[in-house]
Amino acid sequence: MKTLYKILFSLAIAAGVYSCESLTVEPEGFYSDKNFYKTVEDAEASLLYAYDALTLVSYAPVTFYFAELATDNCNVKSDEGADATAFTNWEVTSQNELLSQYYRCAYIAINRANAVIENVEGRGFNEVDEKRLLGEAYFLRAWNHFNIVKAFGIAPLQKSLVDEIEETNASLPEGFQEMYAFMIEDLEKANDYLLVNRVAGRADKIAAQALLAKIYLFAASAKESGVPKYDALTESAENLYAKAAEYAELVLTAQSEYGHDANLQNIYDVNANEGKEHIFILSMDRSGTQEGDYSKLSKYFIPWIGGGTVYLKNTDESYSPTHDGWSVFQTTDELVSKYEATDKRVTELLVTEIFDEDNNSTGTVADGTIIYPFTRKYIDTEFEGDKTSTRPYLIRYSDIQLVYAEAMANAESLPYYNEIRRRAGVSELTDLSGLSQDDFRNLIIEERQREFAFEGDRLWDLRRKNMVQTYVTQAAGLSPEQLAFYPIPQREKDLNPNIN
Amino acid sequence: MKNRFGIFKRAFLVLTLCSISAFAFAQQIKLQGVVSDVSGMPLPGVNVYEKGTTTGTITNIDGEYNISLSSAEATVVYSSIGMVQQEMVVGVRTTLNVVLEDEMLGLDEVIVIGYGSVQKSDLTGAVSSVKMEALPMKPAGSIDGLLQGQSAGVQVTASSDSPGAGATIRIRGGSSYRSGSDPLVVVDGFPIGDAGNLSQISPNDIASMEILKDGSSTAIYGSRGANGVIMITTKKGAQGKMEVTVSQQNTISEFTSELNLWRDPVLMAGLSNESRINGGFVPLYVGANDPNGVYYPSVKELEDGSWPYNTRWDDVVFRNPVSNNTNIALRSQTEKTQFSLSTTYFTDQGIYIEDDYKKLNVNLNVTHKAHEKLTIGTNVYFTKGNRNNNGGLAYWRNPIFPVYEDNDPTKDYYLVGTQDYSHPIALTENRSSTTEFLDFLGAAYAEAQILSSLKFKSQLNYKYGRSLSEYYNPKVYTEDGTFNNGSAGIDNYDTNEIISESILTFDKVYNDTHKVNAMGGFSYRYKKDPSSSLRAYDFLNESLGSGNLSGGDPEKQRVSNGLSEEVMYSWFGRLNYVMAEKYMATLTMRADASSKFGPNNKWAMFPSGALGWKMHHEDFIKNLNVFDELKLRASYGISGNQEPIGAYLINSRYGQDQYYVNGRWQTAIGPGYVSRWDSQTGKKLWSGIPNPELKWETTRQLNLGVDLAFFNRRLRVIADYYNKYTNDLLRERWLSPSAAYDLMYVNSGEIKNQGIELTIEGDVIDTQDWRLSGSLIVSRNKNEVVALGDELAFGLSSDPNTGMLYEFNGSNVEAFRAIPNILAIGEAVNVFYGHKVDGIIQSEQEGLAAGLDGKLAQPGEFKYVDINEDGVIDENDRTIIGDPNPDFLASLNLQLSYKNLDLAMFFNGSFGQDVLNTKAFSEPSNTPLRWTQDNPTNDYPSLRDGRNYYLSDWYVQDGSFVRLQNVSLMYNIKNIGLSWFKRARVTVNATNLFTISNFEGYDPEVGNDGIYWGGYPKLRKYTLGVELTF
Repeated sequence: MKTLYKILFSLAIAAGVYSCESLTVEPEGFYSDKNFYKTVEDAEASLLYAYDALTLVSYAPVTFYFAELATDNCNVKSDEGADATAFTNWEVTSQNELLSQYYRCAYIAINRANAVIENVEGRGFNEVDEKRLLGEAYFLRAWNHFNIVKAFGIAPLQKSLVDEIEETNASLPEGFQEMYAFMIEDLEKANDYLLVNRVAGRADKIAAQALLAKIYLFAASAKESGVPKYDALTESAENLYAKAAEYAELVLTAQSEYGHDANLQNIYDVNANEGKEHIFILSMDRSGTQEGDYSKLSKYFIPWIGGGTVYLKNTDESYSPTHDGWSVFQTTDELVSKYEATDKRVTELLVTEIFDEDNNSTGTVADGTIIYPFTRKYIDTEFEGDKTSTRPYLIRYSDIQLVYAEAMANAESLPYYNEIRRRAGVSELTDLSGLSQDDFRNLIIEERQREFAFEGDRLWDLRRKNMVQTYVTQAAGLSPEQLAFYPIPQREKDLNPNIN
Repeated sequence: MKNRFGIFKRAFLVLTLCSISAFAFAQQIKLQGVVSDVSGMPLPGVNVYEKGTTTGTITNIDGEYNISLSSAEATVVYSSIGMVQQEMVVGVRTTLNVVLEDEMLGLDEVIVIGYGSVQKSDLTGAVSSVKMEALPMKPAGSIDGLLQGQSAGVQVTASSDSPGAGATIRIRGGSSYRSGSDPLVVVDGFPIGDAGNLSQISPNDIASMEILKDGSSTAIYGSRGANGVIMITTKKGAQGKMEVTVSQQNTISEFTSELNLWRDPVLMAGLSNESRINGGFVPLYVGANDPNGVYYPSVKELEDGSWPYNTRWDDVVFRNPVSNNTNIALRSQTEKTQFSLSTTYFTDQGIYIEDDYKKLNVNLNVTHKAHEKLTIGTNVYFTKGNRNNNGGLAYWRNPIFPVYEDNDPTKDYYLVGTQDYSHPIALTENRSSTTEFLDFLGAAYAEAQILSSLKFKSQLNYKYGRSLSEYYNPKVYTEDGTFNNGSAGIDNYDTNEIISESILTFDKVYNDTHKVNAMGGFSYRYKKDPSSSLRAYDFLNESLGSGNLSGGDPEKQRVSNGLSEEVMYSWFGRLNYVMAEKYMATLTMRADASSKFGPNNKWAMFPSGALGWKMHHEDFIKNLNVFDELKLRASYGISGNQEPIGAYLINSRYGQDQYYVNGRWQTAIGPGYVSRWDSQTGKKLWSGIPNPELKWETTRQLNLGVDLAFFNRRLRVIADYYNKYTNDLLRERWLSPSAAYDLMYVNSGEIKNQGIELTIEGDVIDTQDWRLSGSLIVSRNKNEVVALGDELAFGLSSDPNTGMLYEFNGSNVEAFRAIPNILAIGEAVNVFYGHKVDGIIQSEQEGLAAGLDGKLAQPGEFKYVDINEDGVIDENDRTIIGDPNPDFLASLNLQLSYKNLDLAMFFNGSFGQDVLNTKAFSEPSNTPLRWTQDNPTNDYPSLRDGRNYYLSDWYVQDGSFVRLQNVSLMYNIKNIGLSWFKRARVTVNATNLFTISNFEGYDPEVGNDGIYWGGYPKLRKYTLGVELTF
């Protein structure tokens, strides 16, 4: 009988031991708020996650649907689908899938930046690391909020990390004053915290100053040209222009890391992403394993030419291979007509003839082999299948030169305008005589189109200058609000009780 | 033989010792006699013992026994597996001959239920029992196939003939929208997991299966019980002496019908040209190179024989597969110890060449009475096997191309263009893909009789499973290999599960009228599944393949792994009460807590109750002299389903990616992870926000049943009605996009299943030499999607014509660029949604009048119906066009015996389900029937390449069928006078002999979504089996 009791006793113990174990299982197969943000390396990885959001397939390429397709720069491939065609035709509704993808991705990026901010501030990391991490996170939060402002106008500001179900329904800010103040505050912090430190794919102090200049310029011109709801900004347009000029000037004069690259080819060399021009450039590489890690941007811009490898003639008479593309963003004749025939941005950067590997011409735009002249801004001669290192140019030095020129709009800023034209090999303005400030600013807008064509910028210029209908015939008949902002995506309106 | 005598000796010794000790302490009464069956045949190996003592013996080969009893008041118990136990009071007798009835006929077989057993007559719930020895020997590598047609309300769909493939089992319809509608399988008290692919248990080792269907019987399994429970009892040691059983089955298979492939290249080429010309394309068969540089002969070349090739690819790719099933079992039982060791070696060939499956099962089962009040035991199942994957070869290849260049096997493979990735011989010879698997199930238990009425049992179960898959895709012949310059991978998946359960059972009869059985217990479950995946690309040298992954480019190697853990605690209890053998009541309760449930819903409660009334024990029924049994049953219970809930859905979860900085990839980690890719847009969907409310799916089930028996139980009827209502279904809801997350799992959605089940069993002829018995099982289940959650939060679509809310469910059919199945409120699960077709357009006016335009309005096109009558055919003209759920299932088992010869037939039928025949206009059997100017048919459209085919009711066909699923002829040899020989059985068996159906494809038995994908015909299998028992 004793054996029996022993066995029973041990079984009872065994049952007892089991019941002491907890019902909570800590995940060991992935990171979560329970096991992450322990070290500065964790915070670093988290910051890279925030940068990585910018490479999302439904974010980076979608910028071009907005800023190129909806303008006089590009037309869409005819069977790209209704959502894409809607941009060209100015029929974008709140149901548009590309629109919702972009919107959501911007907030994903913001949330990742917020995760860094909340988990770095006051965690006792050394001050240098803390400032660098926070500075870049503040920059990214402002960068993505600015994308939201440009595309949607008044939309939620996410000021803190969303990690609980109770936090998933954001409210709308009161107006642009609140939105701009928040972005500017973030960027001023970034400007304070960051040093000049060029790393391709990341932002530094100069990027923060450059973005401040761009944001102020956007606000200034939008208020000045009567874009809806911008009258809510408390500062005058003049003061905003001044602020834009102030920060642009810092970029142009107070540092030596970045500068004007007189060689057009350098700027668009995929292997030279640390060139002087690139204040902020997205990082993608052909060695990646999934789209987003590598880029397919070239595929969007290059037309379909039979599905094989084609060769392009370089300025030095050598030839470089590239894959052909999907013909998604098709250069308009209108855009080509904006350039002088000798403009290097046409002669060197628009492809009208292709060759085979033995350097024999195999077709031209004129003979119909190439269905439109396509840009060389996204060519990776070392492409692997569809995988390339073609990167979106996020902030170029030339951009800030023109921001400064536009903000100042005076003789002092004219050389920057001329520098851009000189590089393109077209005539310069000797002085501003006979030109009002407005006239000069409009000339700059025209120059910006030629300089930044295919770089995801055109629509924002047209919007802030209230000029969409001047250049885009498809936009005729739309209300000022419809021209200035895309609608908040339907899912947000449906699910978020704070927005309708 | 040596062994056998060893056991005998020991048994003798034990018996002798028992008798001596008994003799020493009590006054002896001697009793002897013969135990025989109803036909007078002596029964060897029957347990004979004095009730309440350890005194006992077993009958010898002639059924004789000798036992010494303590007193004349002693009760002697006679028991044997498969026989109804008898109890006799000795009185003054010294000789007592006893007849034991076959349990199959009896009312009081023991039925295994959750955490206990019950006399069949005392059942209050809906439980079916399948005794394996009552089934004819069927060839089967896994138990799923054995269940088909054996129990009302159990639907077994075997849509694949691939070796080692499982079946889909549904008990009383599916009650979850997500995966996770599979019943729970419990083997000898060990809940091992989902039914569907149970390779661990060899069918040879199964003694019986019980199927728990209603709320009262499944509630005891709580959050794992809602889909029904299959209780498997394995074979235990034979009574008395060592028994060795050797069985051997060999099966050869063939297609049930001819393959529907192009045999006439001239016709094929002609139709292809016609189709391309109609579509505005350059015809292919013109005696020139196509754009990829492949030469296609002209129709004329094919006609006059100057093109020499007409390959029958099916002969190249398919074979008549042979499978082998060998089982050796040793079973023995002495008074103290029983053991059973069974080994099964199973090999199965797929229909494709070199598509093979092998498996070894070992089952060891030992119980030992360590003490008069303590029994300990162990059950071990070990399975090891491997699979060489070579399925899916291109039997459909174009017959005009030879296998080898110039049809010369010494030359290279003939490849069609540079991107030919479907050459079956090239793939067979150069690609490798294997899976090795190992499964271990072990259980150890101790059972103590603490008091005469109180029993304690504790069982510790452990399950380990491992699978290792390897592949190598070579640089040529495979797409993946070509793209990556050689691609190899190894995938590891392990599963570990511990379940520890302790139960106390109280069993007592008060005043001979109040039978009380109470059970209470505790269960702990822990599960841990690690997995890893290795990938290598870009191989310099291909000879080692996946054997040396480091042979790939070091910079392209990829490693990933995962880990999932789960913990669950449960308390449960049951009270059974039977009064005066007439009135019965059962109450059960289970409480489950799981690590998968949100902190706000940690404990789940699952109560149930049932009532039964054995009216045949009431005098007013007895007096009618009609019923041998008339029992009414009613039950109501709540059970749950936690299978759809993945581990960690209640945790916040970060994602991981990489960002290219400073010339290298760096790890990036932060909030939000990609939970899946959107099935329609292909975009990443982000999750990671925890739901603290997350919980199990809840099923409430009402069951009303009646059991009837007439004519000395020769006619038996069981009828049940059930109504199952499931709510809190696990679904994904959308979040506001500004929250930075797309989806979150929540409990929302409701589904209803109700149905009736009828089982009629009859022993039509029952004479000394002849027996004819049969059973007819009919069941009907009707399901209905009741709720899918908030329209906006769940992104439901709305039918523009009826306002019906729905969402797409399941897989996309490329031919239609559409998902055919929807979940629609008020409709059955998975109904088809698409256009309607009203014949074929015969003139352009007719087409334009129908609302079609352009190419779609031309003669020979489908005349789609303009449902909303807006003059345009578009997606707003879709409606429900079919229902893949059967109206009812029926099966008929017939068994005819003459002396030692048994003939069994099993018909299986399914009626009223629709099948979407995606091949209705793309096969050699139907494309020649196309519309042409000369053949203006109203049945088929014209051939036109590039046509956009809408999913329409034109493709929906009646999938009703009746199949002669199985016929077996068995000859039994026994009592031939050899002392060492017990019995032998020789069986000839044919599976899938014929099918009656109007369905146009090979076979209408498809998956639950009702989509027929084509493929090849079902297999017919012939098996020869021999079983010898010594």
